[in-house]
Amino acid sequence: MSASPASLSLLLRRIAVFALVLAIWFAPTPAGLTGPAWHLFAVFAGAIVSVLLGAFPLLTASVLAVAAVVLTGTLEMSKAFSGFANPSVLLVVVAFLVAQAVVKSGLGRRISLLIVSAFGGSPLGLAYSVVLTDAVIAPAFPSNTARGGVLFPVVLSLAQSAGSRPDDAEKRRLGGYLMFCGMASLAISSALWLTATSVNPIGTQIAAQFGVEIGFGRWLIAASVPTLAAMLLLPLVVRRLFPPGVSETPDAPRAARAELASMGSMSRDEIVTAAAFAVMVTGWILAGQLGLSVTAVAFGGLGVLLATSVLTLDDISKQGDTLTTFLWLAVLFALSGQLNELGFMGYVGERLASRLEKLSWPAVYVALLVLYVLLHYLFVSQTSQVLALLAVFLTVGVKQGVPAPLLCFALLFASSYFSVITPQGGSQNIIFVASGYLTQRELYRLGLLTTAFFLTVFLLLGTPWLLFVTR
Amino acid sequence: MIALALALAGLAACGEGSRPPELLPADTWHAFEGSWNASGTRHTLRLGSQHRASVIDVSGSMLLTGDSRLGIGFRAEVIGFSDDQHGLVGRAVWTDERGDQVFSELKGEKVVTGNRITGTITGGTGRYDGVAGEYGFQWQYVLEAEEGTIQGRAIGLKGRVRRGGKQP
Repeated sequence: MSASPASLSLLLRRIAVFALVLAIWFAPTPAGLTGPAWHLFAVFAGAIVSVLLGAFPLLTASVLAVAAVVLTGTLEMSKAFSGFANPSVLLVVVAFLVAQAVVKSGLGRRISLLIVSAFGGSPLGLAYSVVLTDAVIAPAFPSNTARGGVLFPVVLSLAQSAGSRPDDAEKRRLGGYLMFCGMASLAISSALWLTATSVNPIGTQIAAQFGVEIGFGRWLIAASVPTLAAMLLLPLVVRRLFPPGVSETPDAPRAARAELASMGSMSRDEIVTAAAFAVMVTGWILAGQLGLSVTAVAFGGLGVLLATSVLTLDDISKQGDTLTTFLWLAVLFALSGQLNELGFMGYVGERLASRLEKLSWPAVYVALLVLYVLLHYLFVSQTSQVLALLAVFLTVGVKQGVPAPLLCFALLFASSYFSVITPQGGSQNIIFVASGYLTQRELYRLGLLTTAFFLTVFLLLGTPWLLFVTR
Repeated sequence: MIALALALAGLAACGEGSRPPELLPADTWHAFEGSWNASGTRHTLRLGSQHRASVIDVSGSMLLTGDSRLGIGFRAEVIGFSDDQHGLVGRAVWTDERGDQVFSELKGEKVVTGNRITGTITGGTGRYDGVAGEYGFQWQYVLEAEEGTIQGRAIGLKGRVRRGGKQP
């Protein structure tokens, strides 16, 4: 019996991944790092590369990785499994389940018909409505994961209303297009407002150590030109990168209005879902002031939806994708966090940044920004990267003569828009990823190209604008 | 591109190949400077409205510069007790790529942005066996990311160490 070319190719890719892991693992530990940090990097790199090569799905790669690091004594069990109790990871899972209630109750369909009746002449119109909605609600949501929890059911309902299903090879493209526009929109809208993500206020505290004081207004002015330009172009760029399969739907608005009329008034389940969502959104907006956990608010909402039978246990048991997502996200979250805690991230950032010392300041500025964005491949949390690398990069750049306000703003904005570079680059992405409309390889490809687009806009348009407003 | 990012990370880690000698030369002061990125946990106990005490447990990458530095860098771990009124008392262990360690005792102001900490090197293992010395650093920032989780960056890390002889 001979192996088919496909299975032989798969076998070779798997062998290549294991060879990579072993080569890094058994290479001498670099001076300044410890064995566990180096070994963890070997396993983490192997897990990510295996997904890119198609050697293993992300779930398989993740569970193999966590087993390897615990069984070899690289990480303590409690640290390796800590992602399973992380509030951000749990929020993703609960928000995904809550979104199912919006769809099941019919509320999502009603909202999507309203949107289609106004913007539904083309997929582009729908994408702009998603981006616009996100940009408008963003300043009120300090958690962009929670904001994703609001946006996702709407995007999912839009896709489903248009007949797009993840398991339909052709029709899934519209859903995939809208899902990715939603993900990328969350990334760029977080750069527009200081209060659109919890990462921004943390970053401004670090910027203050370099003499750059940033308040709400100053942030908005600095962000306005590059961010609004990126938002304006985003649906067009994504359409070019991932054509949605349909171009114009001129009859859709009329059909949507007719269908809305035929739906009649809101059902009991729609009213319960709308009320539960309104309370959750209020809780998410006021979480900071009231000292509430956004994850606990989401759990409360899910509990209400279950108690009122809008969602049933049967609905939950059908969400196998949610379990898959929970497993790989929790593992990658923990492993990436431990790479940081074991000193690997700071070490790499500092070593890379310090090698730019002989360049002119504009070259240092560009190189630091590009490196900072690329290094997000190693992070599963935006906050972790800001805390681990922002000050390191600012120190090197300012020392080389890059104007501190320019570099602070450029790196702070990057800390938001780079989140879309990988599916796991920001927890808000995961809700969209779990919908299944896009494959992992498509997500990595679109993530890279969209981040490159954002980076280009911020370099070419953002740099002169920042130099002008911070002069 | 991800391969490039991973390769960059690997190259950054592997770039400097020269290994330090097996044993730190005796009776010679080794001056060093550097920075330390630390993350970990802080558990705080409130003793009334104005008084807080905390136990901290942080670790991270310490990178050194200087011609006579101990090495390129260490993984530095610190546990400490910090009190608003009495400052910080702590212990630190630095571990290099071979597993050799340097031990030190810390004292200073409480762990917040801008505060200064001093350390006394009390000994070590492997190539740092019998070392003594002193150092100090300042917290560039200490931020709380999630409840109980802190991340900080220490700058102005300066010190000196030698094998043999008495404590400075």
